[in-house]
Amino acid sequence: MTPEMRGEAIGWARAYQLLKIAGRVLFSAALVTGTLLAIYGILSQSYPFRWRPALQDLDAFHQGLLRTLQISLVSMVFGTALGLLIALARLAPFALLRDMGALYVHTLRNIPFLVFILFMYFGVARSVIPTGAYVPLFGWELDARLFWGVVALSLFEASFISEILRAGILSIHPTQMESARSLGMNYLQALRYVILPQAFRNILPPLTGELIALVKESALLMIISLPELTLTAKQLASQKPLQFEFYTILAAYYLVITLPLAALSHLLERRLKLGGRE
Amino acid sequence: MSPHPMIEIRGVQKWFGRLHVLRGVTLSVKEGEVVVIAGASGSGKSTLLRCLNGLEKIQQGEIWVDGVPIHDKRTNLNRIRQKIGIVFQSYNLFPHMTVLRNIILGPVVVKGVPPRQVYGRALQLLRRIGIADKANAYPDQLSGGQRQRVAIVRALAMEPKVMLFDEPTSALDPEMIKEVLDLMRELAQEKMTMIVVTHEMGFAREVADRIAFMADGQIIEIAPPEEFFAHPKDERTRRFIEKILAV
Repeated sequence: MTPEMRGEAIGWARAYQLLKIAGRVLFSAALVTGTLLAIYGILSQSYPFRWRPALQDLDAFHQGLLRTLQISLVSMVFGTALGLLIALARLAPFALLRDMGALYVHTLRNIPFLVFILFMYFGVARSVIPTGAYVPLFGWELDARLFWGVVALSLFEASFISEILRAGILSIHPTQMESARSLGMNYLQALRYVILPQAFRNILPPLTGELIALVKESALLMIISLPELTLTAKQLASQKPLQFEFYTILAAYYLVITLPLAALSHLLERRLKLGGRE
Repeated sequence: MSPHPMIEIRGVQKWFGRLHVLRGVTLSVKEGEVVVIAGASGSGKSTLLRCLNGLEKIQQGEIWVDGVPIHDKRTNLNRIRQKIGIVFQSYNLFPHMTVLRNIILGPVVVKGVPPRQVYGRALQLLRRIGIADKANAYPDQLSGGQRQRVAIVRALAMEPKVMLFDEPTSALDPEMIKEVLDLMRELAQEKMTMIVVTHEMGFAREVADRIAFMADGQIIEIAPPEEFFAHPKDERTRRFIEKILAV
């Protein structure tokens, strides 16, 4: 075979591979759509869906979506930052720090989030700021429900995220830390440039899973009347006889947030895999 | 020649829990000197080396490198480590970075040199070991010998005053050992101060100024190569040399 012929053969092989993948994706999409349509068909025999009036309230859903996104993103940032600190505390050479970290993780991980929200909002919040619907923060007046909602979600998720980060850090062989320190890096530099980038690559799937869980858990914040997606749907459903429609829309909106998150993680995972691995 | 030795080890004792691994080691290495440490596994050679840059703490004795007391708790180890390059048996390159970034990371992060200034020197070092074309490859795309030479170059990029080698060829296939030893030989010729833990007695005979033999956590014999091989004083050294020569 000449090199040109080989190149051509490889080209065809790749085209065939792509075709196969595209076929699989299309097939799965058709399968899912078909199944959903079938279920919808059966359900609409007994329940007359009325989409037009339901869709008139999409603006309210958008408001709720924005609020949920806002809460989730801020909690992701704070939850991950705090989670990292706790993970580091649990890996610290001082028993006191390790114990405090363990105490934090084991208490928070083992109570229901709903209970923690009630504890924070009707317990801690009320005793810290006895009255007032607003929390002053750096010159802003923050809605107390929003503030405490984000605080509760961040604190709670930090306990889960810290365990994932700790596992990630432990998955990197100690010789990596040693050789970074041997170059004269301090602990934080070694962590920042050598350990965490490698740990991140290892924990990307469970970390994404946890961030998706965070988005889903934000729904429970409706219990403190935080007008996020779920509360929005709940209120609409109590005003109009379109419950099924509203809750279907609600579910779809959560997928709008979580599915791209999962896809992003998948892409990132593939990209990071291209970088070398020893 | 500076008046003080580059490395001064005095009466060093170290325990791992109840295991007494270093039992009073004393050794002085002059600037530009190459000392090879030989000995059976478990004799404490690697531990001694790791104590020199503070990766392991000692419980008794003193270690001075370039006039800095490593044993002193108040010493800023991060600063003195910049002057002590160390090369490990398992290379320990950073697998998530290209070869070039592996080399420039230390100078950029630790010394704060602008990356642009380090690139030139890094590429020069890579050319020297003949793999400039691998600058953008990842460590797992290199052979073992190439990885170990990159690890040496990574240490050299910090412009250290001392180089420590912890069995640098023990993990390598036979055909790759030479390329690593050749690089180390060049460094010795350039008057780098080196302590090399190795089983390569050919290299020791040719390159070392002195060979130290360790057993049971002590240096039981230290001598220039000719004397070391021709007239070993201790029975354990004699047996070791016989075994090495028999191979």
